[in-house]
Amino acid sequence: MSAALLMVGGLAVCSGLIDLLGSGSDSPTLLITGSGMGLLGSLLLGRVRGPGRTRPVDIIVATTLTLTLGILLVAGLYLMTGATQRPDDALFEATTGITTTAMSVLDPAGLGYGLRFLRAGSQWLGGFAALLVGIVILPFFGFGGEFADRSRSGGYRPLAPDEASATRNILRLYVPGTGLIWGGYTLAGKSWFDGLLLAMSTVSTGGFTSGADEFADPSVQWVAIGGMLLAGSSMVTFWHLFVGRGGLHRQTGLSMYLGLNAAGVLLLVLWSTGVDLAAARRLLFVVAASVSTTGFPMDVPSEWSTAAPVLLLLLVSVGAMSGSAGGGLQIRQHRALMKMALREMARQLHPRAVLKVRLDRRVAGEDTLRQIVVLQFLFVAVTFSTAFVVAVFGLDLAASISAAVHATATAGPVRGLDGVMVDPTEWPRSVRLALLPAMVFGRLSIYPAVVAVASLLSLLRDKARVSRRYRAHRHGGSL
Amino acid sequence: MKRPTGRWETTTGQVTGIALLFVAAGMFSTAVVEFAGGEQGPAMALAALVTLVAGMALWLWTRPGQIDRATVYSAVAGTWLVVSAFGTLPYLFAGTFHRTGISFPVILADSLFESVSGFSCTGSTVFGSHNLIANQGPGILMYRQFTQWIGGMGIVVLVVTVLPALRASGLGLIGAEAPGEGGDRLAPRIAQTARRFWYLYVGITCLIAVALVAVGMSPFDAVAHAFTTASTGGFSTRDASIGYWDSVAVEMVIMIGLILGGASFTLHSRSLAARRPVHHRDPEFRGYIWLLTGATLVVTILLLDDGMGFTRALRAAAFNVVTLGTSGGFGNATGSGSDGDFVRWAAGPQLILLVLLMTGGCTGSTSGGVKVMRLVVGVSHARRTLRGVRHPRAVLPVRHGSGTMAEPMVERIAGFMVVYGMLVVAGTLVVAALGTDLVTAMGGVVGSLGNMGPALNRAGPTASFVDGFSTPARMVLALLMLVGRLELFPMLLMLVAPYRTLHGRVGSR
Repeated sequence: MSAALLMVGGLAVCSGLIDLLGSGSDSPTLLITGSGMGLLGSLLLGRVRGPGRTRPVDIIVATTLTLTLGILLVAGLYLMTGATQRPDDALFEATTGITTTAMSVLDPAGLGYGLRFLRAGSQWLGGFAALLVGIVILPFFGFGGEFADRSRSGGYRPLAPDEASATRNILRLYVPGTGLIWGGYTLAGKSWFDGLLLAMSTVSTGGFTSGADEFADPSVQWVAIGGMLLAGSSMVTFWHLFVGRGGLHRQTGLSMYLGLNAAGVLLLVLWSTGVDLAAARRLLFVVAASVSTTGFPMDVPSEWSTAAPVLLLLLVSVGAMSGSAGGGLQIRQHRALMKMALREMARQLHPRAVLKVRLDRRVAGEDTLRQIVVLQFLFVAVTFSTAFVVAVFGLDLAASISAAVHATATAGPVRGLDGVMVDPTEWPRSVRLALLPAMVFGRLSIYPAVVAVASLLSLLRDKARVSRRYRAHRHGGSL
Repeated sequence: MKRPTGRWETTTGQVTGIALLFVAAGMFSTAVVEFAGGEQGPAMALAALVTLVAGMALWLWTRPGQIDRATVYSAVAGTWLVVSAFGTLPYLFAGTFHRTGISFPVILADSLFESVSGFSCTGSTVFGSHNLIANQGPGILMYRQFTQWIGGMGIVVLVVTVLPALRASGLGLIGAEAPGEGGDRLAPRIAQTARRFWYLYVGITCLIAVALVAVGMSPFDAVAHAFTTASTGGFSTRDASIGYWDSVAVEMVIMIGLILGGASFTLHSRSLAARRPVHHRDPEFRGYIWLLTGATLVVTILLLDDGMGFTRALRAAAFNVVTLGTSGGFGNATGSGSDGDFVRWAAGPQLILLVLLMTGGCTGSTSGGVKVMRLVVGVSHARRTLRGVRHPRAVLPVRHGSGTMAEPMVERIAGFMVVYGMLVVAGTLVVAALGTDLVTAMGGVVGSLGNMGPALNRAGPTASFVDGFSTPARMVLALLMLVGRLELFPMLLMLVAPYRTLHGRVGSR
């Protein structure tokens, strides 16, 4: 809780200060509320002690609760500053921000400097949270620990030798990465402020923009493409570059990620008519936005095959590399699933053979593989449940499936089957609210959120049981 | 008949040959029906003769050889491919799909689609407003129904009943063909087990036929629909399918028949042996009934919410949930836009139907899809894994009913689900690339892989697959039907045995 209060409080204070560059009308609210949150967070941090023994499940539940509290706090800021009068809109905007989904319902043109920074900042924090979940929380307390970069072999510093170092190392890459992309946007002609906002949305795979014509300039498009490709890549890759370990060409995950982007562009070019170089660049932009799950909007050729939207939906659900800020089921999970499928076929012929699945030159543990299968199962279950609820609330079948996939993969604005971006404000409010749980589940890589919900239900059941026994005891005693 | 010495040693050839003999017998029977009331009798007889000659040649000139797992898969998949190919002959010779302006490759593709859809019990059809079922002779109509009936219990199971030379490997063959996880042994001998399955199947078919006659169907239609109900196939002798009769009684009989067909035949056999129903003790059967009941209730509520009256909503929901949940694929729509035409329903109920298209019935039944048992185990596996996070040191087995599921079986089911999911995704992309929209493509792929029949959107219960899919897309769907009917692996692995043989020969030189 204190982490959420401190981070959102800090963000609010920064937003309040930045709002002074403009009219400053939101500054008092942002500064006072942010300071209050920060103080409360510090107080909690100083006064409350954790339990002596922390179980992995406690960390996982705490992560989910922190993200949820962060969303509620940002929603509160939107309401208090008057960015919107409706609590559901505030909640939706905050959720799409923190979960880096970017299905915005606010008109950025009507917002001041402070609130625009708050929107982009919420995505930046969400991207950082996603990196923490993917590199620290899941490998150390969930599954896939064998793929965490922990080895000191060869004298190189690993990215994640322990939880605290991993968090510091992520920040060492995340902050300069933001700066690099910011510089790129500024060089491409964006103002320093717009460039900063775009950089924060890009590095976090968030996707919020300040206007419809944000990417009209080809040089800005190139910077965005580069930024999205970087943001969708694994932090381990960059860390290896950072510590001089090299060997990028041997990273199968990176090759697959780049190959996926290249194959996506190739197929879209084949499935569209009248593609010139400018259109090919726009298609590359669309593919990078889909695979990295950033979701920046971009027009596509009006004449394209019926398979193009299916391909984009598929790319969104595949998602970015594991260990990146991107969403979706992620590439390592897909690689594991593909290898498991091949192993299953081999097992049909050799039922007694001991067949191991290798990923990144490491043998994947059976527990990890089991959890990846469960993750896939949960991903499909969350997507279908969301699509069903959304369909019941009024969207048609294709739009329901598309919206559910985008929400679960935290991939930003939905593109219709005709290639046109869908405005979420045109959806009924109930539809927007129905998408929120999927966004939260998706941002937390499904698994921690499900564990948190299960733990919460278990806690409630235990409480009810204790209460029932107590009542029964009292009843028995009075007799 | 004296068989020549020095026969070619190939299990695939032997099994395929006998399977073709059975199919030829069916073709002759339906040719007789055509002689009685249609014009294409000679053409159908010729098709039967060609199939008979091919079957005899294979049977006489081959003998069962080495039977390892690769050979089992190769034999089963090869048999299904060859039978489906020969199954096109009656359509081709009778000119069923000949239309002006249509080239021979398209006619061949349509015939193959109808044949594969029949044998795999899918029930998707290329008949439609451009080529009405009503214009076909009785022999062709009965032949379509027959293909589903013989495919329902399994062609290879039928072969095992008469091929003692396979001995214990017969169970492997049955397991490779049977829906679900392997084959159950009902009797000490494999041939006896296969025969028992077929006796039960014939018995259920007869019961359904009698019940359909009792509720007002003509004997011809009753027998034809009994064939495709017991096999959960879904072909009909009418363009409007079951909607033609617009009768609650007929729909009730069909629904009960489909539920029986979608339940495990092992359970039916045990019930007969115990002289009382034992179905309720089976966790999969309970899940199956709960799933159908729950889906019916939810769809009814959603249809009521859409403004349909209660009786109409319940009838439309129950029939379509049962027919898709058991992989039947019949329709009760009386026309486009009528109550039973589920592509006109709101998106919510359609999504439930899409889930049912994947689910299917029980293991050891005639239905397709993932199967309820695999879903139940999948959910149990997920629960176990999530509980494992909260209790890292606990030993948590995967439970199925009151029993425990063995870990290798759980892994096998997980592997199956992974491959199934990948095929759905890849199939949808390929079919969409061949000119189909997202919902139609996804519905078509899920329906074909699960051997369900109608799909969503442009290939609904009142539409033809010609309207929804291009010819290449229909070929992809036909392949998926075979892959789905054989529970993925035999068709995916069928080339392994021939490859090994070839590799062995090349290597030995």
